Amino acid sequence: MTLLDKFERVAAIRATLNRSAHDPTQVVIEQILSATEGLVAGRRTILAGTNNYLGLTFDPACIAAGQNALMHQGTGTTGSRMANGSYAAHSALEQELAAFYEMPYGMVFSTGYAANLGTLAALLGPGDAVLLDADAHASLYDGCQMCGADIFRFKHNDVASLERRIKRLGERSRNCLIVTEGLYSVLGDCAPLRQIVEIKRQHGACLLVDEAHSLGVFGDQGRGVAEAQGVLDQVDFVVGTFSKSLGAMGGFCVSPHPELALFRYVSRPFIFTASSSPATIATTREALRQLRARPELRDDLWRNAGQLYSDLNTLGYQTGPEISPVVAVRIGTKDLALESWNRLLEAGIYVNLMMPPASPDSASYLRCSVSAAHTPQQVATIIEAFRQLRDSLPAQNLQADN
Amino acid sequence: MGNHQKQRTQTATLNAHQQAIEAQIKTLLERYLEPRWAQDPRNRIAVSGSTNLTSDLTLDSFQVMEFMMQIEDELDVVIDINSLSDVHTVSELAAIVAQQAAA
Repeated sequence: MTLLDKFERVAAIRATLNRSAHDPTQVVIEQILSATEGLVAGRRTILAGTNNYLGLTFDPACIAAGQNALMHQGTGTTGSRMANGSYAAHSALEQELAAFYEMPYGMVFSTGYAANLGTLAALLGPGDAVLLDADAHASLYDGCQMCGADIFRFKHNDVASLERRIKRLGERSRNCLIVTEGLYSVLGDCAPLRQIVEIKRQHGACLLVDEAHSLGVFGDQGRGVAEAQGVLDQVDFVVGTFSKSLGAMGGFCVSPHPELALFRYVSRPFIFTASSSPATIATTREALRQLRARPELRDDLWRNAGQLYSDLNTLGYQTGPEISPVVAVRIGTKDLALESWNRLLEAGIYVNLMMPPASPDSASYLRCSVSAAHTPQQVATIIEAFRQLRDSLPAQNLQADN
Repeated sequence: MGNHQKQRTQTATLNAHQQAIEAQIKTLLERYLEPRWAQDPRNRIAVSGSTNLTSDLTLDSFQVMEFMMQIEDELDVVIDINSLSDVHTVSELAAIVAQQAAA
């Protein structure tokens, strides 16, 4: 049974989570009541940790588009696009994304994870070098690791750390891809893309930006952090997901480089998986239309984000360095974080619990994500739950250095 | 100088280089661990080449990564993280850093 012995360690870790009333890894939302509410353990619960940034999961137009696709195109594509051919809607979405980003080439993948894997694995090969933000998402690590390139990490969002390393690479910097997230998904801070673009230019490197959490959130037109910082036209590859602000499932890559059109011949995570269901593509296309047509969704989102961020800080919580729809509250120890997460759930608030090794340092976090669909009353309820939690915590646990 | 002898000299130079790096890594490691040792002196141990980074020093995966980036900056090298998968001890780490520094 040696193959299975390694699970003893997993079982031991799970046992520590089971000790609390609710296990954060086994939350069941018994009923989805709206984009911002669900029934958890029989209780009406505000969903404040589901990355539903624009609240489009119950948008009537998106639902109608999905229903229509189900009726007229069926339940699934039953295979990969390379083998079975592409449904017209999949190709149309690729063109719509490319047009949205004002880049000539676009490619759609079945998940956000596959988009990162598929883009990186196609782009990189043995002998190439990657400069990867040390706190980047697992899908970016996995994509880099799939392709045999040499991986060098720089400190999270630290321009000096990146610059030192690209200088050490010398001539190799011309075969080098810099990889970073626009909005960091855990703490909600933005990459300094203006400076990164400058370093990229000086050293002749390429830049890939993952806008998974920033699509529909940042920029005048909602295209992400690169747009917000005015450097979108200098990014070589933008990747992102449909599963957050677009409320669907899938991922994409857009690029000014014509070679992107050739990725579909070499990208295994693209070739060897079934393409998204027609209904998924249809709701994604409609959500993208909504994102473009209703900039007021972003106003609502940022109003809620600003409220939650400033009120949690006023309560004495330590949050990320800047206002964004991702608001992460630092809690010193694992045990205290687990206990706090349980209390919030008992109070009818669902947030994400981030603990090492999934958190960016040795601390734990209660990570909230705000939605445009949260009402001001719901935001106030979330803040009130955090106030009650604070009053029950020992004071030193709110300090920065615990 | 015959080929064989030349090779031996090169190996000796590499070993000396690696030993110098190992000494530097030990110093950096002690400096990195000092605040925690000061907090709880029971954890203090003498770091040697065979010291295991995770089991002997109880560094978690985040701390190992953080320490690697400090080594990169202090020794002015870059370390490919793929090369770290078989690294467990201080000596093994020194061998990888010496290799990358020579590349």
